[in-house]
Amino acid sequence: MDEGGGNVGATTLMRVVGLQKSYGGLRAVDDVTFDVHRGEILALVGDNGAGKSTLVKALAGAHAPDSGSIEIDGQSVLLRTPRDAEAAGIGCLHQGLGLVDALDVPENVFLGRELQTRIFGLIPQLDHSRMRARTIELLDRFGIHLPKLNEPVMRLSGGQRQTVAISRLLLQDVRLVIMDEPMAALGVEEGRRVLDLVRSMREEGISVIVISHNLEHVFQLADRIAVMKNGRLVGVVETVSTTRDAVVGMITFGQQH
Amino acid sequence: MQNQPAASLSNAIGHADRRWLFKGLGLTIVVIALALIFSLINPRFATITNFANVLTQASYYIIIAVGMTFVITSAGIDLSVGSLLALITVIGFDLIKAGMHPLLGVLIMFALGGGIGGLTGLLIALVKIPPFIATLAMMVSLRGLALLHSAGNMHYGLPSSLTWLGQGDLLGVPVPVIIAFVFAVFGGWLFNHTKFGLHVRAIGGNREAARLAGVPVNLVEVMVYVMMGLITALGGLIMIARIDSTQATIGTAMEIHVIAAVIIGGTSLFGGSGTVYGTVLGALLLSMMTNALVIAGVDYFWQLVVMGVIVLIAVAIGNLRERRIPTLSHVLRRVPEDSVANDQGR
Repeated sequence: MDEGGGNVGATTLMRVVGLQKSYGGLRAVDDVTFDVHRGEILALVGDNGAGKSTLVKALAGAHAPDSGSIEIDGQSVLLRTPRDAEAAGIGCLHQGLGLVDALDVPENVFLGRELQTRIFGLIPQLDHSRMRARTIELLDRFGIHLPKLNEPVMRLSGGQRQTVAISRLLLQDVRLVIMDEPMAALGVEEGRRVLDLVRSMREEGISVIVISHNLEHVFQLADRIAVMKNGRLVGVVETVSTTRDAVVGMITFGQQH
Repeated sequence: MQNQPAASLSNAIGHADRRWLFKGLGLTIVVIALALIFSLINPRFATITNFANVLTQASYYIIIAVGMTFVITSAGIDLSVGSLLALITVIGFDLIKAGMHPLLGVLIMFALGGGIGGLTGLLIALVKIPPFIATLAMMVSLRGLALLHSAGNMHYGLPSSLTWLGQGDLLGVPVPVIIAFVFAVFGGWLFNHTKFGLHVRAIGGNREAARLAGVPVNLVEVMVYVMMGLITALGGLIMIARIDSTQATIGTAMEIHVIAAVIIGGTSLFGGSGTVYGTVLGALLLSMMTNALVIAGVDYFWQLVVMGVIVLIAVAIGNLRERRIPTLSHVLRRVPEDSVANDQGR
C-alpha cells in the first residue's frame, strides 16, 4: 500500500484518522492522520508543545480525543481509559516509570497481575518461583541482563530500571508500545542498551512509537520519523530516504521539502 | 540463566525478607548478646522462669507489632492501638462478667477492633486524613470512651476458659507464647507470600505506581487498619487473660512500645519495606530490656526514658542504613556507585 517501512513487511497495525484534541482554545492535536506499521519503530519528533505528548496520551487512553478515529487491525477502537488501551494491546511507558522502588524485579513486573498458587488447593499465595522464572524468560527473550532480580529496584541503575519498566509492558500481550523519552537521563552505554531492547521488540513483531528529542537516537533507531509542529502532523518520512537537515527543517519550519 | 541455588534459597525464605535476613542476623546476634550480658550481670535474669516470663510479656507486643509492621510498611502509623485495646478490653470484660458467653464476648471484642480499625482506615484512605493525625485523634477519643465506660473501675475475674489463653501452658510452653509464635509465622507468610502483603508493600513504596498497576490502593489501605484493629483485639484478649483484669488506663504508652519494636526490627518508617522477623526480634529486645531494668530495680519512669532513647537510636540507625542522612551518605555510597559503574561497563 504505501512506502513499505524498513525491512519489515508493511501491514498496518494501527490507523489514526483525523484525530483532534483541544485544551480550551488551543488545538493541541489538530487533524492528525497516520498509520503505524506492524513491527516498525516510528519516532515522533517535534519541538516542545508540538503536540507529541497529547497525541500519545490519546493513543494510550490517558486523554480521550475530541474527534477522530483509531483503528487497530481494521477494527475501530475506543480508547477512553488506560485499561481500554491495555485491552487493545497498547502499552505505554510513562516518563515517571511507575515502578515501586522497594519491590524487587519480579514483584514490579507482576504487580497487579500476580501469579498465585493454592496451598492444599485452598489458600492462595504468591507463586514467587513462577513469577521469577517468567521474568527471567521475558528478560532472556529480549536479551536483557539484570545482575540481581531479588534486590529492590532502587538498587538498580537508571537504564536497568528502564528495562524493568519495559518488561512490565512486555508481560502483557502488547502489539504497540509507546515510549516517552525512554533514553532521557541515561548514560551513553545505558541508552544504547535501551535502543537494543527497542530493536529486539521490533524483531518480536511489536510496533513501537518513540518520542525523542535526540535526533541521533532517532536516526539510529527509527524506521520512519513523524514530525509534528503546532499540533499538526508535518509529515512522515522514511529514515533511509531522508537527512537530518531535512528533519530539522520540518521541525523548525513545519514544511516537508 | 541465573544461579539456581540463589533462586531456591530465595524461594525458601521469601523475597522481601531475604535481604532483611542478613540484617535480621545482626539483630539476632544483638538480642542473644544482650541476653548473655543481662545474665552475666544478674543471674536472676537467666532462670527458666524469668525466661518464660520475658517471652510471655513479649507475646502480646509481638502480636500487635506484627500488625504495626503492615501499617508502617503501608506508609502509615497507628497511634491508637493502646487506647483501642483499652476500650475493647473494658467492654469485652464487662460483657463477659455480666454473664455473656465468653465466646460471644470475644467475638464482640474482635468486631469492635475490626470495626473501629475500619473507621480509622476509611478516615485515612477516603477522607485523606494523614495517618498520624487520624490515629492521634482516635487515640484520644477511644481513651475517652474507655474512661467513660469504666473510669475508676477495675475489672477482674474471668472464666478459666479465657484465662487459660494467658496463663495456661502446653508441654510447659506458655500458651501466649505459642499463640504469638504461630501468629508471627502467619504474619510473615502474609507479608511476603500473599497478594495482600505485596500490595501493602507496594502502596507504601509508591502509591501512584501501585494504582497505575491496578492495585486497589484504597481498599488495601482500609484493610490494613481493619487488620490492625483485629490484631489489637487479639493482643488485648491475651493480655487480659494473662493478668485476669483490665481497666480504662490499660495500654497507656503501648503505641510507642509497639512502634519501637517495628522500627528496631528494621522496617522503614517511610514505607515500602519491612520485616516481620525483625519486628519479633525488636519486641523481644524491648521486653528483655524492660525485664532487666525491673530486675535491676530501676524505676518505671526511667524505663520510659530508656524506651524513648531506644526508639531514637533505632530510627537513626534506620536512616543511616537507608542513606537518608546526607553527610554520611557520601561515606556509605559504595554500593550504588559500583552498580552504576558495572552497568556502564567501565
